[in-house]
Amino acid sequence: MSTGEVAIRIRSVGHQFGEVGEARHIRALADTSLDIVRGELLCLIGPSGCGKSTLLNVIGGLLAPTSGTVEVAGKPVHGPMPHDIAYIFQENALFPWNTVDENVRLGMLFQGVPKAEHAARAQQSLQAVGLAEFADHYPAQLSGGMRQRASLARALSLQTGILLMDEPFGALDEQTRMILGEDLSVLLARTEKTIVFVTHSLGEAVFLADRVAVFSARPGTVKKIIRIDEPHPRNPAFVTSEKFTALRNELYALLHDEIRKAVGSDAPRGRRGANGGAP
Amino acid sequence: MTSIQSRGVATTARPREGGNPALDSRLRGDERMKAARTFLLRHPGIVRLGAVIVILLAWEIAARFFMDPLFISPPSRVFASLGAVLHTEGIPNALRLTFFELAVGFAIAVAAGLPLGLALGLQPFARRSFMPIVLLVYGMPKVTFLPLFILFFGIGPASKIAFGVAHGIFPIIVTVVAGVQGLKPILLISARSMGASRRHILRWVIFPHMIPSFFAGMRLGLSGVLLGVLLAELYVSTAGIGYFTTMFTENFQPAKLFGLIAMLAAMAIVLNEIVRRAEHRFSRWR
Repeated sequence: MSTGEVAIRIRSVGHQFGEVGEARHIRALADTSLDIVRGELLCLIGPSGCGKSTLLNVIGGLLAPTSGTVEVAGKPVHGPMPHDIAYIFQENALFPWNTVDENVRLGMLFQGVPKAEHAARAQQSLQAVGLAEFADHYPAQLSGGMRQRASLARALSLQTGILLMDEPFGALDEQTRMILGEDLSVLLARTEKTIVFVTHSLGEAVFLADRVAVFSARPGTVKKIIRIDEPHPRNPAFVTSEKFTALRNELYALLHDEIRKAVGSDAPRGRRGANGGAP
Repeated sequence: MTSIQSRGVATTARPREGGNPALDSRLRGDERMKAARTFLLRHPGIVRLGAVIVILLAWEIAARFFMDPLFISPPSRVFASLGAVLHTEGIPNALRLTFFELAVGFAIAVAAGLPLGLALGLQPFARRSFMPIVLLVYGMPKVTFLPLFILFFGIGPASKIAFGVAHGIFPIIVTVVAGVQGLKPILLISARSMGASRRHILRWVIFPHMIPSFFAGMRLGLSGVLLGVLLAELYVSTAGIGYFTTMFTENFQPAKLFGLIAMLAAMAIVLNEIVRRAEHRFSRWR
């Protein structure tokens, strides 16, 4: 697991949408510093609109922060770094006009992998997520859970050191999430990847993470980091253990005040729908 | 008591089913009707064919018995005249010329309409600046400018092609713009995160996304080009199908006129079918 080496260095990153004084101005993220260690799985958890997805997009180079810097593998991030970072989004981000196999190959084409390696790597990553039989299916023919498996296969085939996951199971039902979480834990124990995982689910955070960074309400920043000392791959029995419950309760206590604050500060202005999901 | 009663019902009911031939055949008839209905529902082509036959029959009867043969010919005579039409001096060349004008006009409309549509669709500023103008010209009855086209491009094929392009290009631009609009932003973000270049994004994301609307636009564009070319030919020409339709009308030869129109329809069907086949190939994923 973690060797202590820093994979992602986040220094005083802050971000605001719109200009100060504008009606749409929002301070999404306030002065956040965080070191993410190579090989660890770090969960970002916090109330809606606390800026955790914003931070993820900043790390991924999809969004330039208003202040602060991010370094990945020692290099400052100024844009997407497809050779170091792969992304898995909440929404279905597969191309609907391509089969699962073609989707995986397209990722490698974009990243610049030599054509000769495409077939073998696609097959290998589809096998890893258990979708080898569905290689020739179109996304519309798959269930939501299978689509996210396909997204995971596409990300794995890129063979990056870092995986950013933005609520990857957010749109799935509880049971599918559970199974995918277990599979992910097994898969990742083998791959030594550094993973940043945004989630709303307390249970998911405790089950998957080595460390959980709890965010405060907007403008968000890391309020506390909780360490989950449990070897990967995590056993399904871990969920029913007292340790799990204790950690989950601790997280809940930390989050509860922040969620109240987020809801309280949002509700009277009545624009939770307008920007609650955006940052 | 109850058992006797129930047996009584049963005994009166059973012979009815088996023994009453009139009711029996009616029941079987009902079933046959139902089977015929489900058969027709599964084969809309048969109903379509039937409708065409009914219309042709009505036309045949009307043309034979009720109307002036100087103005209309029955379909049987039109069909019989096809050979004569084809062997009329100048007709094969006219068909070739019109087909050439159609093909070139359509090619220009697509080749210019697609990049213009992409440029307008992908750049919000360009779209906001120029789209109202495009829509204005699209909506304008271009036939009012037909004399100008003849003036600029002469009475040869050039004016027909230009007028065809003027009709065909706008539906292509408008549908491509609309097609590009609906792209889910997450697909662009995801492609960018994997390192896709602008060319990658155009080829693998935007293009496949707008294929369905592009084909819809091509079909509309095709009928636009057809309309433009024929309007220009009818207005003034020395060759081409339009020249001969005018001639056959003025010489009261409706059989030949309809025969020529039938050939024109065949041409339009062939072009449309080519577009449809290509579309089918590109939309396997739906």
